[in-house]
Amino acid sequence: MTHEEAFRRLPDLLDDRDDAALLAHVRECADCQRQLFLLGRVDRALRGSAPARRRRRRPWPLFAGAAAAVAAAAAAFAVLLPSGTSAHTMMLRTASGRVVGEATMRHADTRNVSLSLSAHGLPVVRGHVFVLWASDKGSTMEVGRFMADPTGKAQVRFNLPATHAWSHLWVTRAGDAHAMVASSV
Amino acid sequence: MTPQPLELEARSSDAELLEATAAGSEAAFAELRGRYRGAVGRICSTIAGPDREDCEQEVFARIWRKAPLYDRRRGSAAGWLLTVARHTALSTHGGRRPPTPVDEELEVEAAEASEVDAFWLVAALGRLPEREREVIELAYYDDLAESAIAKQLRVPLGSVKTWKRRGLNRLATLLGEEAA
Repeated sequence: MTHEEAFRRLPDLLDDRDDAALLAHVRECADCQRQLFLLGRVDRALRGSAPARRRRRRPWPLFAGAAAAVAAAAAAFAVLLPSGTSAHTMMLRTASGRVVGEATMRHADTRNVSLSLSAHGLPVVRGHVFVLWASDKGSTMEVGRFMADPTGKAQVRFNLPATHAWSHLWVTRAGDAHAMVASSV
Repeated sequence: MTPQPLELEARSSDAELLEATAAGSEAAFAELRGRYRGAVGRICSTIAGPDREDCEQEVFARIWRKAPLYDRRRGSAAGWLLTVARHTALSTHGGRRPPTPVDEELEVEAAEASEVDAFWLVAALGRLPEREREVIELAYYDDLAESAIAKQLRVPLGSVKTWKRRGLNRLATLLGEEAA
């Protein structure tokens, strides 16, 4: 197998295709090894973005009617049930993208959503007190205050009204509502 | 400012475009903007909602102003662009804007590699020939087998295999150029 042929067929290895001649070439070829490494990153990025992209793409024409009916039914529930009946998780990140917490919302009863926040690595300073905020499309509310240990770790629970579709959470330092530490977007 | 042929801009890496933008090349900035409009738009849509267009304008205005601060030795162009976009979107959140982030400095921490790759991917897919992009999106985003893609596009199976291989190899090569 020539190098050009092997290089062209490298993407086949992403599909676990057992090609002895191709693998034998890759073992001896630094260029192919580097390309295969890059192909792996591309493959992971494509698979990682697939769920979000699937939601944006139109359904198949054959199933469009059924999909629309399901979507309409889901929307009817979404008016009062922001995350459906199952748990909905949001990652909290610093402005630079570091994950410092995970917030899971699920229904406590017909009027309340239970929010469980598990934080780690929050940037603690004196007092270690933080404030959790939530917003939907039209309003913002202070969810509650909590303390982190000296390593920035915290496990807390709060209740929010189920009458809003809470879509954004963020954490600020206590006493300074403009000092955002982490956000879900 | 030195005008450059558009063909040259289209072949340039993101890092080269950012550096040319820093030197005042409007053609390089236009190419960069074309590549990353979709990726920046997604961030703005998520954070700024109805203010998405204003957010996009502000992100690219800031990229134009801040481009001289980019240093390829400190990270990829996509990572730098993602950081600028995220910071700008958070600070231009309109009426329902959350507080401004404390760590406003652009270079405090690098974004996670997987996030940078995902941000870069949106722009890179737009640089593929249409058939290659279409086949890859059907394979990954619609989870279709190559035979099903061939059926849907009404083309031979061999063509699907070829477009998929070429597209993936092209993406990997573009990624390698950004990392160089």
